[in-house]
Amino acid sequence: MSMYVIRRIFSMLITLFIISTIIFLMFRLMPGDPTASMVDPSIPPEAREQIIERLGLNDSYFVQYTKFMQNLVQFDFGDSFYYKTSALSVLRDKLGATVILMIAAMVLAYGIGVFGGAWMAWRRGSVGESIAITIALIFRSAPTFWVGIMAIYIFSVLLGWLPHSGMRSSGYEAENLFQTFFSLDFLKHLILPTVVAAIYFLATPLLMMRNTMLEVLGEDFIEMARAKGLTERRVLFNHAARNALLPVVTAGALFIGSAIGGQVLIEYVFSWPGLGREMVLAAQRHDYPLAQASFIIMAALIMIMNLVADLLYAYLDPRISYK
Amino acid sequence: MKKWKWLTILLVLTFVLIGCSNDSEGEATSDEEMGEIVPEFSLLTSLPETNQVNHEAANAMGTIWNDELGMDVSVEPIDFNVLVDRIYGDAEDYETYTVGWSGRVDRIDPDMFIYAIFHSSAAIPGGNNTTRFKSDAYDEIAEAQRTEMDESKRQELVFEAQEMLADEAPLVTLYARDLVHAYNNERFDNITVMAGEGIFNEWMPMDVEPLTDDKMLRIASTQDLDTLNPLEANSVYEWRNLRLIYDKLVRLSPSAEPEPAAAEDWEVVDDTTIDVTVRDGMTFHDGEPVTVEDVKFSFDYMIEHEIGYFISFLNPIDSVEITDDSTVRFNLTEAYAPFVNVTLAQIPILPKHIWENLLEEEGIGHPGEFANENPVGSGPFVFDGWKRGEDLRTKTFDDFYKDIAIDGYIYDLYAQDEAVMTALETKSADVNAEQFIPANIEKAQTFDFLTVEEVPDIGFQYLSFNMNKEPFDDKAFRQAIAHTIDYDTIIDVYLDSYGIKGGSGLVLNEANEFWYNPNVERPEYDIEKAKEILTEAGYTWDSDGKLRMPVK
Repeated sequence: MSMYVIRRIFSMLITLFIISTIIFLMFRLMPGDPTASMVDPSIPPEAREQIIERLGLNDSYFVQYTKFMQNLVQFDFGDSFYYKTSALSVLRDKLGATVILMIAAMVLAYGIGVFGGAWMAWRRGSVGESIAITIALIFRSAPTFWVGIMAIYIFSVLLGWLPHSGMRSSGYEAENLFQTFFSLDFLKHLILPTVVAAIYFLATPLLMMRNTMLEVLGEDFIEMARAKGLTERRVLFNHAARNALLPVVTAGALFIGSAIGGQVLIEYVFSWPGLGREMVLAAQRHDYPLAQASFIIMAALIMIMNLVADLLYAYLDPRISYK
Repeated sequence: MKKWKWLTILLVLTFVLIGCSNDSEGEATSDEEMGEIVPEFSLLTSLPETNQVNHEAANAMGTIWNDELGMDVSVEPIDFNVLVDRIYGDAEDYETYTVGWSGRVDRIDPDMFIYAIFHSSAAIPGGNNTTRFKSDAYDEIAEAQRTEMDESKRQELVFEAQEMLADEAPLVTLYARDLVHAYNNERFDNITVMAGEGIFNEWMPMDVEPLTDDKMLRIASTQDLDTLNPLEANSVYEWRNLRLIYDKLVRLSPSAEPEPAAAEDWEVVDDTTIDVTVRDGMTFHDGEPVTVEDVKFSFDYMIEHEIGYFISFLNPIDSVEITDDSTVRFNLTEAYAPFVNVTLAQIPILPKHIWENLLEEEGIGHPGEFANENPVGSGPFVFDGWKRGEDLRTKTFDDFYKDIAIDGYIYDLYAQDEAVMTALETKSADVNAEQFIPANIEKAQTFDFLTVEEVPDIGFQYLSFNMNKEPFDDKAFRQAIAHTIDYDTIIDVYLDSYGIKGGSGLVLNEANEFWYNPNVERPEYDIEKAKEILTEAGYTWDSDGKLRMPVK
């Protein structure tokens, strides 16, 4: 087992190295120039030169690349061209906001999805099931920004129940970090984006759970359990659902990995100060260090969560073991 | 006999055919005599999501140039960064493009739009003269207005320059967009709006009167700051806040006249010597007094470190001396008319005690690298925190020399224009920092608690040419092009009438009351007129309808 983990980590490092190289090249091959977005065009050419030199963009790609790799090994992603502070500190500011939103949405989506999927498999062919499938697919296919705008219009503008934008009310001052993320004010701001994101994510766990449940429900041991005279609920949740969970767990773990990228459209509609928008802007502004840092971290997280999912598998299903 | 008959008919036919082909050959030679076909070229423009109006206008122009004028034009919408890169790049790889100059307050002074973007010295790769307009006669006037310290004489020169630009048409202005903002009239009153600046100008937070007990002004914006360091701030979004935290010697009044700020008064001793008397009893937000030392230091420091944003305003300064406890003397290398209106009204006063030894203390190579997380200035508002992507907060500085009615302001960030509109609608914001998109103007007008304010912009969007290339080096060609732009449709349809019409070489418009020359005529949208001008200049259309250059 530990050998397996070590091997996996080693191969992850190699993959990361390749990804970093590709990312490094990718941003530099994009048309356009980082100074164009950072330097006001009315600045004289000499001042422009000075800035290019300070950013180290005068060096050859090879020199830039070796510097980049040297720093990367020390977890130093360099200073953001645009914000003039370390790329990691820019990301750190926004990572918390994104992670909270994404986890909240995931808990909601997977909570409803797992139980809902089990219920749907049990009531297969009923009117309730087809309604549930239709609703899940409608929200999956509806553009999230549209659902978001509608939600804002109904709950913020018409009813005035919930705030429409940001993480905090204007001028709200948190006394400490705990209050920043767990105050009533924050939770009120969290509701709309979480719900809108969750109903978008819902279809994946819901349908996946339903499908595997249908498979499991046809197995012999379910018949056995029923024959033993167990209640339908026990059969469903203690015997069938446990076994049907596996693919949902993988999907969930990968979801957390990619969640750091956030949901750009949700962040955009609800003005959520998250990482997703920052990544898009960094790429647009040719802010190489910031874009590199966010993409590399995202790649690393996806790989780590992949490993976690594999290990969880072994735990959940004793038939699987790694050597 | 019959055979002969057939043969003759055949012969006649052959001759006719030969004659015909001769004829068409004859036409071909006459096409050649016409001169070269006007070379293919591209029109670079914005992506629709960046600037819808420019994009639509460029497409309309492209269609007219192709279909009506017989040219071979491709309209290329590209990312803004790539566009700037192309027109400022070393390769000079562009023919025509649409782009704009934003109406920053320092551009109310005509020097930027008359001198900086048309003087031949800037017609180099990376220079601001991206039209590559080079004219000795024009250079002379542009230089003269720059050194003319007498305002009415300078005005005459600027008027003359505008007439020349209208005739030469190195660029053709498409439109200037009106700045439309709104404020909550139940919570605040006495809102100052300023042409070119809109509602979030430097006076509004100082002049605004609260109507309720909540005296915090909430400004909704979509543009975050990149930095709090005044030596690194390159955009108007940062300066709108930094100029309230840092004080300046002079501030331009809402009617764009220079008004004393940290300077009590100034005196133009001669063309190259200006004495500035610094106001007494001012302090920085950390309690240290503001002295002539700080003023001298600020200018010297920025000159020494060649701060890009200010470099062109600082270039004319030869030296800064302290003549007595309250007077600073600026010695200029040559007369520089915009000195008071631009240089003194732009440069922030830095606290010497913080910046003086900064490089050693922080271990950095350039003051631009300093994060300045807690900016200390002597302006009307004290910095009270910045959460990237969320808000910037300030409190009113009690020791400021001007009375301010509000307790401070919060610059709240929203992701897009719709969110700003919703914030105004749900009363969670009091004013919007950036202008409305046309669709939201009418919406804002439907709410009684919002007052909509509309001012013209001094910035403008334009079409321009690379005059190093044919046929754009020909004045007649450019003048003809100026008649192919549907100025009225741009204003009436794309801008919902919230804008000012463009014209050839029109870099100053009605918004800039003092410097705008009202006698300059604007071309009308008239394709026949365009064809007439081209014909007069010797351009012709060949048998395929392609436009051909005049014969040399």
